[in-house]
Amino acid sequence: MNKLKLLLIYFTIIFVSFNVHAGASDDVKTNSEDFKTSIFEDEIYDPLEGINRAVFRFNNVADKMILEPAAKGYKKLPTPIQSGIGNFIKNLKLPLVAVNQLLQGQGKNAAESTGRFLVNSTIGIFGLIDVADDLGLDQKEEDFGQTLATWGVGDGFYVVLPLFGPSNLRDTSGMIMTMMTDPVNAYAANQGEAWVIPLKTAANAVDQRSKIIDEVNALRDNSIDYYAAVRSSYYQNRKAAIMNTNDDILTPLPLISIEFE
Amino acid sequence: MKFIQILTILLFLFPISSKANEANSWLKKEIDKIIYAYQNDDLPNENKFLMIEQTINNNFAGTGIAKFVAGKSWNGSSKDIKLEYIKLFKRHLALNIASMMQGYSNQNYELTNSSYDEKNKVTLIDMEVFSNTGSIQVTWRVKKSKERFFVIDLLVADISLVVTKRSEFNSMLKTVDYDLEEFNKKLSSQNDSSYQKLIK
Repeated sequence: MNKLKLLLIYFTIIFVSFNVHAGASDDVKTNSEDFKTSIFEDEIYDPLEGINRAVFRFNNVADKMILEPAAKGYKKLPTPIQSGIGNFIKNLKLPLVAVNQLLQGQGKNAAESTGRFLVNSTIGIFGLIDVADDLGLDQKEEDFGQTLATWGVGDGFYVVLPLFGPSNLRDTSGMIMTMMTDPVNAYAANQGEAWVIPLKTAANAVDQRSKIIDEVNALRDNSIDYYAAVRSSYYQNRKAAIMNTNDDILTPLPLISIEFE
Repeated sequence: MKFIQILTILLFLFPISSKANEANSWLKKEIDKIIYAYQNDDLPNENKFLMIEQTINNNFAGTGIAKFVAGKSWNGSSKDIKLEYIKLFKRHLALNIASMMQGYSNQNYELTNSSYDEKNKVTLIDMEVFSNTGSIQVTWRVKKSKERFFVIDLLVADISLVVTKRSEFNSMLKTVDYDLEEFNKKLSSQNDSSYQKLIK
């Protein structure tokens, strides 16, 4: 009797599933007032917009004159050198990444980051070679801004920092905390080699910028309001980083209708 | 009994996986068309863009995206202004995608994963674009209508093109008091400038 019941349930599932799929192909809403039903927030809290735009213009000029050419030059270096520099910088960040993962209750990730740091610092020759990646120890990024967000601290207002670029009140606090607690910075300062700190920051900026030359140019060349485009991109990117969620799931789905003219 | 259980699961999953696969092959064909246009050195840049624009217009839900991006300025505008806006937006979208794809045209890519979101009737296709030192993830959101696929959004490293455009347009629309007619002038001038940069 039980088997018969199960069979009935299975056939019901099959029947329902086929109907769902059959009806799905053309089921696209063509509502002309899509925006009314959207859950998107168009406004990002930006009370300092005037000042931010001025700083943004300055940063943009600095980027065009210094950072972008440096990043393009960096990209011309042989691939192993670029990878080596990138890996070395990433490795230096790992102790603080592990701390932040612990603070966010991600014990497994913290253990993985510690493992990455140990493996890459030793077998990987001071982090120049990413051996840990081949061992399945994935690189994950966490910072104090993300930790504060996980603890429930809100974004605060949007701010564009000179040279450092887009941020908000919480992430700026996080950045200051990172600078103050970074063991590499502390060691360099203790040894009277404080010049290492801006050098490390600059190298990181050039390395990161070199990875998004095309994307930044596409955004800059084609934005009707480049400032607003960067602001929105920053918030989306940070939101995804904080939630540690796959972007497909996290980013809200725009209610787009398909129409034939 | 076990056989029936397995069969049921397979039958239940098959339509979802086949939808994603179908969308995958379609997308690969269309991306290759764009990349082919860029890699064809015999074509002048103007013609390359025209080919790419045609591919994008045929495969993106341009009108729907345009309306979504216009936000609250859409309802108060006349039909002619809306039509003009849609025309300008489609060119704007094509310029954006073409500009981005130009950067990817000399790199290898792979469609790494695809899944069907049954709730929203959307197929998500992940694409990894490889460079010498790493890779960047692009996710295509694809919807099927009248037996055709349409891209409704594109996410590059967690950043949605449509959401970014909506935010950007809203910021600019605010400066013209959400007057779509005034906005069209700005959009037209931006398109001209983007076009010149792209074809140079």
